[in-house]
Amino acid sequence: MSNTASRQSHRLSGGLVDRNAPLDFTFNGSHYQGFEGDTVASALVANGVKLVGRSFKYHRPRGILTAGSEEPNALLTIGRGAYAEPNTRATVAELYNGLAASSQNHRGPLGFDFMAVNDFFSPFLSAGFYYKTFMWPRAFWEKVYEPLIRKSAGLGALSGEPDPSTYDKGFLHCDVLVIGAGPAGLMAAKTAALSGARVILADEDFRLGGRLNSETYEIDGMPGSEWAQSIVQELSEMDNVRVMPRTTVYGSYDHGIYGALERARDHLSDQGDKPRQILWRIYSKRAILCAGAIERPIAFGDNDRPGIMMAGAVRSYVNRWGAAPGKRVAIFTSNDDGWRTAADLSAKGIEVAAVIDPRTGNAPYQIPNTQIFMGDAVAGTYGRKGITQIALASGREIPVDCLAVSGGWSPNLQLTCHQRGRPAWREDIAAFVPDQGIPVGMSVAGAANGELSLKSALTEGLNKANAALKDLGMKTAPQAAPKSDDEKIAATPFFYVKESKARAWVDQQNDVTVKDVKLAHQEGFRSVEHLKRYTTLGMATDQGKTANVVGLAIMANARGQSIPETGTTIFRPPYTPVPIGALAGRARGKDFRPYRLTPSHSWAEEQGATFVEVGMWMRAQYFPKPGDKSWRDTVNREVETTRNSVGICDVTTLGKIDIQGRDAAEFLNRVYINGFAKLAVGKTRYGMMLREDGIAMDDGTTARLGETHYVMTTTTANAGPVFRHLEFCRQCLWPDLDVHLISTTDGWAQFAVAGPNSRKLLQKVVDTDTDLSNEGFPFMACSEITVCGGTPGRLFRISFSGELAYEIAVPARYGDALIRALIKAGEEFGVTPYGTEALGVMRIEKGHAAGAELPGTTTAQNLGMGGMISKKKDCIGNTLSERPDLNRDDGLRLVGFRPVDRSQHLKAGWHFLSKGSPCDMAHDEGWMTSVAFSPSLDHSIGLGFITRGSDRMGEIVRAVSPATNVDIEVEIVSPHFIDPEGERLRV
Amino acid sequence: MSDTALYPTPALGGYRADKDGIVVEELTRLAVVSIATPLDGDKALDAAMQKSFGTTPPAPGKVTISKDGKTRFLGMAPGQIFAVFNHDRPDAEKRLAETLSGSAYTTDQTDVWVALRVGGESVVAVLERICPLDLHPDAFPADRCARTVMEHMAAIVLRDGEDGFVLLTARSSARSFLHAVEVSVENVL
Repeated sequence: MSNTASRQSHRLSGGLVDRNAPLDFTFNGSHYQGFEGDTVASALVANGVKLVGRSFKYHRPRGILTAGSEEPNALLTIGRGAYAEPNTRATVAELYNGLAASSQNHRGPLGFDFMAVNDFFSPFLSAGFYYKTFMWPRAFWEKVYEPLIRKSAGLGALSGEPDPSTYDKGFLHCDVLVIGAGPAGLMAAKTAALSGARVILADEDFRLGGRLNSETYEIDGMPGSEWAQSIVQELSEMDNVRVMPRTTVYGSYDHGIYGALERARDHLSDQGDKPRQILWRIYSKRAILCAGAIERPIAFGDNDRPGIMMAGAVRSYVNRWGAAPGKRVAIFTSNDDGWRTAADLSAKGIEVAAVIDPRTGNAPYQIPNTQIFMGDAVAGTYGRKGITQIALASGREIPVDCLAVSGGWSPNLQLTCHQRGRPAWREDIAAFVPDQGIPVGMSVAGAANGELSLKSALTEGLNKANAALKDLGMKTAPQAAPKSDDEKIAATPFFYVKESKARAWVDQQNDVTVKDVKLAHQEGFRSVEHLKRYTTLGMATDQGKTANVVGLAIMANARGQSIPETGTTIFRPPYTPVPIGALAGRARGKDFRPYRLTPSHSWAEEQGATFVEVGMWMRAQYFPKPGDKSWRDTVNREVETTRNSVGICDVTTLGKIDIQGRDAAEFLNRVYINGFAKLAVGKTRYGMMLREDGIAMDDGTTARLGETHYVMTTTTANAGPVFRHLEFCRQCLWPDLDVHLISTTDGWAQFAVAGPNSRKLLQKVVDTDTDLSNEGFPFMACSEITVCGGTPGRLFRISFSGELAYEIAVPARYGDALIRALIKAGEEFGVTPYGTEALGVMRIEKGHAAGAELPGTTTAQNLGMGGMISKKKDCIGNTLSERPDLNRDDGLRLVGFRPVDRSQHLKAGWHFLSKGSPCDMAHDEGWMTSVAFSPSLDHSIGLGFITRGSDRMGEIVRAVSPATNVDIEVEIVSPHFIDPEGERLRV
Repeated sequence: MSDTALYPTPALGGYRADKDGIVVEELTRLAVVSIATPLDGDKALDAAMQKSFGTTPPAPGKVTISKDGKTRFLGMAPGQIFAVFNHDRPDAEKRLAETLSGSAYTTDQTDVWVALRVGGESVVAVLERICPLDLHPDAFPADRCARTVMEHMAAIVLRDGEDGFVLLTARSSARSFLHAVEVSVENVL
């Protein structure tokens, strides 16, 4: 592209673009050129491109309406392949070399969209069309209507490929957050910065200055844009200021917290390996909203043609970007500010064909060589793919190629409403301004506060900053607002042209017309919230920034009310769209969330273990060996080896809580249902704790290591919740007890060594000063020991498998060494490591409850442990565990189940019914909680709850699963399938 | 009895990386011992610490340093202090308990935590991607500490100098935590 500069047919002299830095780009495959400093929109304007997209519903040709983030029409897909991002506003997309943009929402070429046929059917597609049309027949809802609507819905399409860009998040802190870097924001930031406050100045634009970059104002005798750059430069050099261009503060949250999206690298042709966007959480002590104002359109017939643009946007393109939206321009304005467009265009040598102002009286400005129509209005336009002519209400027709429209300015007060703030109507500027309920710590300055002139914006920025500083107890720097213009801002409320015959568009993004709003009123959808939902006014990417007030005004008129009586809808975050990728940040793939590894993880990996996620833990599920035909084979082998010789399992994941204090025993007595006061030093006891409501909360063992020192274990899943519960008890319920808690879960590598040869194995590892004989270290003993020649450790003789078993613990740093030492020591016994599957099989064979039996709905009584609740003492949950309904004779009891036909396999979740009972909830008697294939018994076994279970041993009931057509007979048996007397534990 | 002594394995293998002036390293010798003040035992602990270390227990968020400069005491919560000091053997708690001669309940926390030191001129810019705390020197000067959460993982932050932080994080999830720090370094530098 060497000869394309000349194609910038609408490029003017001047502007804030770098003509020494040309940038090539494509739009719908055609090559164009712009300059550094351009947006995609300004570059398209400079190249004379007017038609940039098709409207959402009627596929009408649409052009660029605005020059900011409020843009409803110029939504493009920018980028190639997986990098392509749909619905990007061309008005804020910074141009870079090689940028590829394409239009959306058309079938066939942009200039000839087959779907434009919808426009001809518009009389049938008015507001509420979907609600009225797609009701019958019901059978069509999902099969016909939904696919049809889904196909038509949306604008741009995602690439369908994983997003190759990276995103990040972060946290920032400041004394004063200034949102918006226009005149008010720059003044506020400078004032706060000079006082020494920590200031963050954020603006969505890549060039700070706000409207100063688009206007011809002077400040302190220099062009406004130069003044802005000098302030930005000054602020950038201050250590206490963080200047953040390309950063949209999109939401206001509690306690002075703001959400902001920094588009860090969207403007680069090569984003490199750095995050494309960063989502910031900003903690501010005070915030000053200086977000400016958005110009409102006026609704008149065919006011959506390409070439019809907001008057302020026309000034932006001409002044900031040196790009002419047209060569013969008319201006339709209901306020003084719109007239500035005429003045600026004339100064640039662009023909101003006419200025039309519905107000009567004298023209506020003298525009030479221009027809002035006071008391008139634009009632219609011509030109399908670009405006060619306007028709006035008075009947006159004027050929133009651009129409600049201004209905006044609406303050950008969205962030003041994010915490239910309600704005107030100001008749003098015909706009809502911030009022009640703005977020604590926020103040509003400049146009965002309805102060629309430059002078008032600068003054208010200064004053609001000083007020914030004073509020913070900080000194204020003596300075005055700079000298500036004080332009005319008089406006008259004027929202739509009644004389228009053609459709007059209110919300161009959602194709909502004046007629649609009136129809909503006619059909009873008169509340602003109903109006929004019924017509879709104010929805989608622009959230009605240009449309809302006009729509409200029309509804107010239809209701015979004032606009404030009609009210506004609620503004919610985000102010502008935030990509899901930015919300996800860096949390993707394996690192979506943290994972926890056991001390033996590396060793288990070396053994080829299969891992399973247990909460955040990665636990070895089983250890396959060559020759194993299936995971079941592996698990059976692990169980059989453990039961016949010895097996080792990493049980580090169980929660461990170090409990110390003079009153630790009393504390345990109060949190466990069973007594702990008399637990001797060197002993371990099983304990169960209840919630306040008497429901079982968790179980585990607690060992007494010293007079005032205990170690509690919890289930893996409940390690956190139990610790929290105990801290609550300690701090809030019983602050008079001398008890201290600290988690040591990660601190100890702990291994279960189970099986008849476990003692022999441990005798090779545990230092000889510990007597491991049955007498010297009996069942439920515990002790602090040393292993392998002096490494400190702990030994507990406890068993989850039902075998002679121990749990041995060493500081986690020695965990890897210990597992290797244990396996080596066990070689002569044919030791096997076992994973969570074998662990589960053995505990089910033994009838031990685990997570499935403690789902937060079962009681100690249900678990067959009602007798454990000591009546000699009080404990949490004791009283409510005595509720009659929890103690019914026909209550659920945990029992075992085996299939009558032993070849059948049981599944958890099946429900129990008596033989002959109908299969419905009224006859439901309980459910299967855990199942396993028992290699010891060579058939499937299960645990479950069934009414009166302990009284029904030997009874045959049905296990059913209506969803999977299962209905088989099972026998109720003891939950202790293996060694019910517990003899193996005590040898 | 085994004739093979157990060897310690650092959770992150003694990680150390240097990128553009930011150094991230695992402090493998750092011992951590919690000190809990017995109910109504504040004066006794004060006296014991004064006698043994020449300093006093810190308030939560504050740090005191032993007279010999070798031990930092981090105020974690009312009645809870962490003592951190370099110590190679697995008997840090025992040693500290002896020094405090029964004036506090002590628990070895060395293996519960992994210590990562992140230092360098841009350290705050790196950490602001994951740390919700205000690390500006005015708000978080040297020898201050705090508990917080980074990337869903509990962490203790100690500023040990103008441009350096020691981050304590749970041993089991230390690889995820290190990944979070590494990504921040990559994203910022």
